Amino acid sequence: MLAYSYHWQPVLDRSHALIVGAWVDVWVTLISFVLACILGIAIALLRVSGLRVFAWPAFAYVQLIRGVPLLVFLYWVYFGVAVLLGVNFTATQAAIIALTVTGSAYTAEIFRAGIGGVDVGNVEAATALGFTRRAAFRHVVFPQAFRIALPPLGNVLIGMLKGATLISVIGVVDMVFVAQQINLDYFTPFEPFTAVALLLIVLVAFFSALLTILERALRLP
Amino acid sequence: MTTVLGYAFQWSVIRPAIGELWHGLGITLELSGLSLVLSLALGLFVALCRLSPVRLLRGAAYVYVQVFRALSLYIYVLWIYFGIAGAVGINFSPVTAGVLALTVLNSAYMAEIYRSALGAVDPGQREAATSLGFGRIRGFSTVIFPQAVRIAVPSLVNQFVDIVKDSSIIAIIGTADLFGVTNRLVSYYRAPFELYTLVAFFYLTIVLAVSALAAVLEKRLRRHLLL
Repeated sequence: MLAYSYHWQPVLDRSHALIVGAWVDVWVTLISFVLACILGIAIALLRVSGLRVFAWPAFAYVQLIRGVPLLVFLYWVYFGVAVLLGVNFTATQAAIIALTVTGSAYTAEIFRAGIGGVDVGNVEAATALGFTRRAAFRHVVFPQAFRIALPPLGNVLIGMLKGATLISVIGVVDMVFVAQQINLDYFTPFEPFTAVALLLIVLVAFFSALLTILERALRLP
Repeated sequence: MTTVLGYAFQWSVIRPAIGELWHGLGITLELSGLSLVLSLALGLFVALCRLSPVRLLRGAAYVYVQVFRALSLYIYVLWIYFGIAGAVGINFSPVTAGVLALTVLNSAYMAEIYRSALGAVDPGQREAATSLGFGRIRGFSTVIFPQAVRIAVPSLVNQFVDIVKDSSIIAIIGTADLFGVTNRLVSYYRAPFELYTLVAFFYLTIVLAVSALAAVLEKRLRRHLLL
């Protein structure tokens, strides 16, 4: 097209590095997602605890975190908090921390809605059957809340995967980093960024399919 | 100067930084405001195509939504600013590339928001409009659409909040928006913690202000609505 001649060879030559980079995006996302779910459940429990001293800070946390862009968080953790605490996070650690914290604000809201979505009658029934509060939550409320939360959690997972494409800005060698390297080495911007776009589409489609299967498998009769 | 954990805070940078960030705020609002208006318009067009009786339009709109929702903003920015620019030989300015990227991405999301809002308007409304002698277009523009917008407002506001936050990504290709200005200030003052915290509060303030305005707007819009 016009004066530009396409050179796919560099992309093909470094396809291995691109795939390894994509894998970095995937595992950073998965680790952050699991951590964000754990943190999110804790915050959701604080919010539904019924005690103002717990509920209010949890509410403030969610509002605060959701108001700040992921990119700002990445820089804040990697450059800001690092000098404040005198800790040198690796770029990957900083990426996981930033993704986990931003993700947790969203998962917290989802779990809260999930817990709220379970019929109160279930808790009453569990209590009537002699369940303690904790046992009722673990065996009766949570399994149902988790199923309600699953579809929106899937959206968060995919959002986090898209967010993970940003981590190259602090130096994580992910697929975008590799693509930029190819561009710098061969001055072929179109091909590597197109390759990365296609890789991301494939990853998103893969995760969406996986989540649909999981939702079906867990659906209650 | 206050010292915590052996770290000496440089609070003195905050005052000059706020002046600089004020300019950045203008660019951030300009970028996100422009992208909002464009994606609202484009999103509506795509939504109408998805609901059109013409099969080809429906298919094209479906593909548009699926393709443009599949990618992250950063990939778009890189692809448009470096990729397309290299391949087609157009040199977009960072701001143009940023607005383009924000618009294509968000118009796809907005198309879905409009579509579900239009679907949520009771079909009886259309029938009533028809029976009162309204044509298809007038029925849509004076009966269906105003109700759909009221239903769509909360989701559209969320989308706008995402636009504002995502606009920080455009700084990577060199705009002097809030985040771009912050990066320059950090390399000048060497006070990353103070400055990144400060810019975080700027974004937080915009987001909270937008949400507060949206709450007022929603209340006003829902005055006459039985939902």
